Amino acid sequence: MLPRASLLQPLASLALASLVLATYARADGWELDLDGRLVSSDANPSYTQGGVSGVRFDQDQSGLRLGRARLALTESLGELWSVHLDASAWGDHDRIPVGLTEAYLQFRPYPFSSGYRLRVKAGAFYPPVSLENRAAGWESPYSLSYSAIDSWLAIEVRTIGVEATLDWLGRRQGHDFDLGATGGVFGWNEGAGGFIAGDGFTLTDRQTPYGGRVGLPGDPVLLNFEPFRQLDGRAGVYGGLELRWLDRVVVRALRYDNRADPTAFDTASFAIAWETSFDSFGVRAESADGWTGIVQGLKGNTAIAPGGFYMDWPFKAGYALVAKQSGKHTLSLRYDRFAVDTNMPGLGGAEIGHAWTAAYVFKPDQRWRFTLEWLRVTSNSYNRNDAFGLPALAAETQLQLAVRYALGSATY
Amino acid sequence: MRPPARPRSEKSAFRALGCLTALLCTLAAGPPVRAAMLVITVQTSDGRPLPGVVVAAHSLDVPERKPQPVKAVMDQVNRAFTPDLLVIPAGSTVTFPNSDTVSHQIYSFSPSKRFQLPLYRGTPYPPVHFDQVGVVTLGCNIHDEMVGYVVVTDAPYFGRTDTKGAWSNDLAHGRYRITIWHPRMRDAAADLERELTVGETDRAELTLRLTKSLTPAPLAERQHSWDY
Repeated sequence: MLPRASLLQPLASLALASLVLATYARADGWELDLDGRLVSSDANPSYTQGGVSGVRFDQDQSGLRLGRARLALTESLGELWSVHLDASAWGDHDRIPVGLTEAYLQFRPYPFSSGYRLRVKAGAFYPPVSLENRAAGWESPYSLSYSAIDSWLAIEVRTIGVEATLDWLGRRQGHDFDLGATGGVFGWNEGAGGFIAGDGFTLTDRQTPYGGRVGLPGDPVLLNFEPFRQLDGRAGVYGGLELRWLDRVVVRALRYDNRADPTAFDTASFAIAWETSFDSFGVRAESADGWTGIVQGLKGNTAIAPGGFYMDWPFKAGYALVAKQSGKHTLSLRYDRFAVDTNMPGLGGAEIGHAWTAAYVFKPDQRWRFTLEWLRVTSNSYNRNDAFGLPALAAETQLQLAVRYALGSATY
Repeated sequence: MRPPARPRSEKSAFRALGCLTALLCTLAAGPPVRAAMLVITVQTSDGRPLPGVVVAAHSLDVPERKPQPVKAVMDQVNRAFTPDLLVIPAGSTVTFPNSDTVSHQIYSFSPSKRFQLPLYRGTPYPPVHFDQVGVVTLGCNIHDEMVGYVVVTDAPYFGRTDTKGAWSNDLAHGRYRITIWHPRMRDAAADLERELTVGETDRAELTLRLTKSLTPAPLAERQHSWDY
């Protein structure tokens, strides 16, 4: 059952926030979501509890859980600027009960008469990788648990910096497609990569908030891990391209490099800078009769070199998703594959695995959403055996029934 | 543009009045201008009727009377322009109320009318004046999925095809140039221009068949509120 304090504290904070909001409900858009779960899981101790698991909830967390409590605000600042805040509570042992998963300022000038349009974001937000997490709160409309790729982003990757996108709006000029180019410069994310090397890939929907922590203090693998840190003076960069054919097909490619100095090390906290880079490519296609198909792949490397001893963990992940929406009902099936390799002696941190996710979403209106999801992750993880003495090979099954209620002007 | 339906009794009163006026005009002005019915039917490349096509008929014989400007309204409901297409005579105005609870920011960078309506809800702005002929594509700077069209015409006769893909009107005898346009049409509008003579019989018919397939219709259901 739920640990009381961990649930009540975030709920009280969000309730207070919504009260303030209701009093001063002048924001352009606001949304308050409450997502409760009934969980049945046979998984090993979860990464949120200090273990290594392929899913969010382990067998000790079966029962009634808080999926997410979320408060989001969008406020215009004058004509072309707006601010977006997304705060969430996850009801587990993070050191902050409520935290921001995204917070950014957006500059949104009108399209130029030549058909080009500029967008600039500054703050903390997700780099443009995901093709499935397209709903409010960076959630997936197809399932509860994100793909291995998007789960990794949720756990430890975020842009804290500036991103500019230049779009060519062909569809407004009689063409069938639009083109976009994006570039980003960021910092404070040199922990990204540490989770992959320690725990490998996990399928979750828990998004680490800023100032938050992954796992528990004393976690033998993650070692009090905080992804959002800057340990050297180097900024990361990424660049991406997007092609949209009508509103049916989106093709996205991104090259990402946090350019961290792998020898940077904080002697006070023992935090290490992880030099992480990856390439991502994906396609999403939708049909008029409700079918959606997504294929995405990501390949990269993360490395540290404390004291000049270079260790790296090349990783790759990919998935294919098929979903069918029919009115208020959506059925989806996703297959994920992932692997982490390493040059470490004894293969510390190596992992290989795959997962099946089947979900049924019933969304009778803008306020209610009911989801039933079955997730099975099969993985072979060196660290599961090395750090916890559990069999390296594990097949973990997590069944969730989620009820979400949303309030606010953004839901109308 | 179809005027709103009037009550039947009023309609027949108007008709009676119309007949009377026609009779008086005939007596006063000598022989009447002879008219015939023109029926334009538009088909897709695979032969199915295409509703919603904008049809315009220009007279090639006599100096045209220009159509009277109108005051039109294009609303925004559930993050969509409603209606998503208006056909208006040049010189008309369009009001763009926003009936949503979220703000919209309307723009057009089409050559025949460039304008923008800064972020708003309700109806804070005066009507927008459209005086140049052409297709004006509208977007919302916040919701990229929103697209609307204002077709500005100087043709004396215009309208849109019905569910059977047909548009009809009574035209004075003479030669006409017919143009059609549809947002999902891939054929160049110039390739589908036709000239025809109305008046050899009481009824002139023209069927136009597109040569290229339509672009797919926009996806109807959008459940994703904040798209990334």
